[in-house]
Amino acid sequence: MIMPRGQQLLLPASSFFIAMSLFVALLFNMIENVGLLGNAAWMPDFVALVLLFWSVHQPQRVSIGWAFFLGLACDVHQVSFLGQHALAYVVLGFFATLIHRRLLWFSVPSQALQVLPLFAISHAISMLIRMSLSGSLMGWSMVFAPLLEAMMWPLMSIILLAPQRRAPDPDENRPL
Amino acid sequence: MPLGTLNHSPPPFFKQGATPLNKLIFFGSLSILMMFCDVRWQLTQPLRSVFSVALAPIQWLAQQPSVINESIQDFFENKSVAQQHEAIAKRALLEQALHSGQVDQLSLENRQLRELLDLKGRLSTKAQAAEAIYDAADPFTRRVILDKGSLSGVQLSSPIMDEQGVVGQITRVYPLVSEATLIIDREHSIPVLNNRTGARGVAFGESGGAPLLELRYMAANSDIQEGDVLSTSGVDGVYPPGVPVAKVIKIERSADSMFARILCQPTGRAQGVRFVMVLDPVGFDLPKRPEPENNKPIGAAKAGMSSAVSSTAPASVKAPAPANAVSSPSPVASPAPSTTPEPKVEVKR
Repeated sequence: MIMPRGQQLLLPASSFFIAMSLFVALLFNMIENVGLLGNAAWMPDFVALVLLFWSVHQPQRVSIGWAFFLGLACDVHQVSFLGQHALAYVVLGFFATLIHRRLLWFSVPSQALQVLPLFAISHAISMLIRMSLSGSLMGWSMVFAPLLEAMMWPLMSIILLAPQRRAPDPDENRPL
Repeated sequence: MPLGTLNHSPPPFFKQGATPLNKLIFFGSLSILMMFCDVRWQLTQPLRSVFSVALAPIQWLAQQPSVINESIQDFFENKSVAQQHEAIAKRALLEQALHSGQVDQLSLENRQLRELLDLKGRLSTKAQAAEAIYDAADPFTRRVILDKGSLSGVQLSSPIMDEQGVVGQITRVYPLVSEATLIIDREHSIPVLNNRTGARGVAFGESGGAPLLELRYMAANSDIQEGDVLSTSGVDGVYPPGVPVAKVIKIERSADSMFARILCQPTGRAQGVRFVMVLDPVGFDLPKRPEPENNKPIGAAKAGMSSAVSSTAPASVKAPAPANAVSSPSPVASPAPSTTPEPKVEVKR
């Protein structure tokens, strides 16, 4: 197995933790809406962030299928056109699988720089769909959403990789 | 290195699944198909309901921080603030008591007059209280999600109002929640009546996205003043007649346009609405529209119509509206019956 030099060896990711993190991201998006920050276009989309993170780190487990269903859930909750977020997340997942082999060889800050265009594409698709179907223009404050998401990437790689960075417990996999 | 302690496993040789490109094409076209089904044919309502019910527990969880925040604020609220609120409420109650006394008298008088005219009594509509859980995330639509759904008896196209006036209309119903489009949404329209002059019109949400209404298709020389109160006209068969909707705040008459640009401030708390009443649409209680009779001579029919035109005209316009309002879940209440007669009224003046 070829691995980047100087990186810590990680424990396998737990499926339960992956599912919980996606669930919590959806919850955070809802809190954004329900709380004072409803109708704010510049708020980062946590689902897109966590989805991209796991599609890059665990492409065998989380990929386009998950993206599609989470997108539908977001559509229903945010009362947008059914399929608007789904399409945006599916494209995000696709690009994530394209770059996942390359991306993890870079340092975390430069990873953040490289995922910025993906977030921008995903938001642009969502905005184009809304504009073409309802004819409403979006405000310029939407530009901040992908920027904020890219800035949160280092934080996400600390939080979401934390369970995998624990020391391995020798008792768990003792052969005898 | 012991087994099972390393994240990086070699990729499987044979069980690769579908390629990312195939998945992209499949799910991408599926979402585009769903979008078309949603926008053009409104076929996706069952799927939306399923997702909405599945999301209900998460939604409940997401509400909790703001609920807790509110209860903390309530706990630490000043005594003087509470007393102030009480004073305001008492004053409002007094004003309402005055009104209600008048209403009793007027309704008695009205009943007697109606009995004289041998007309059917006014329709009384059922209502239930609901609470707005959150605003839709899209910054350019004005929609809220209410905490009552079809299980509580909320019907599609029901009007919603707060204590001061009409606020919006139910545009999607899920089992546990429902979605209401506010009257300030740019795609929403509501037929209104000028209380001062009796002129009918259609008010739309302001097209620029401001929390205002726009009274369109009123001729530049029409009789309308700043401060005029607009109420529902009842011709649409959805809103009960006589509920205040908005107040005219600005009129722009320009020489190059046939119509005046009239901006109105909604009477109800359309922005930041919290507790609302969901009324049943009035049109459901109306009797069915009678079959047209063609065997009468035109002259006789005209003579019969002209005597009773003042009382029966609204009822005859009402009848086709409910079918229209129910079949299309679009937020436009019923543009066709109300917009078409409107220019004619203006021309007559």
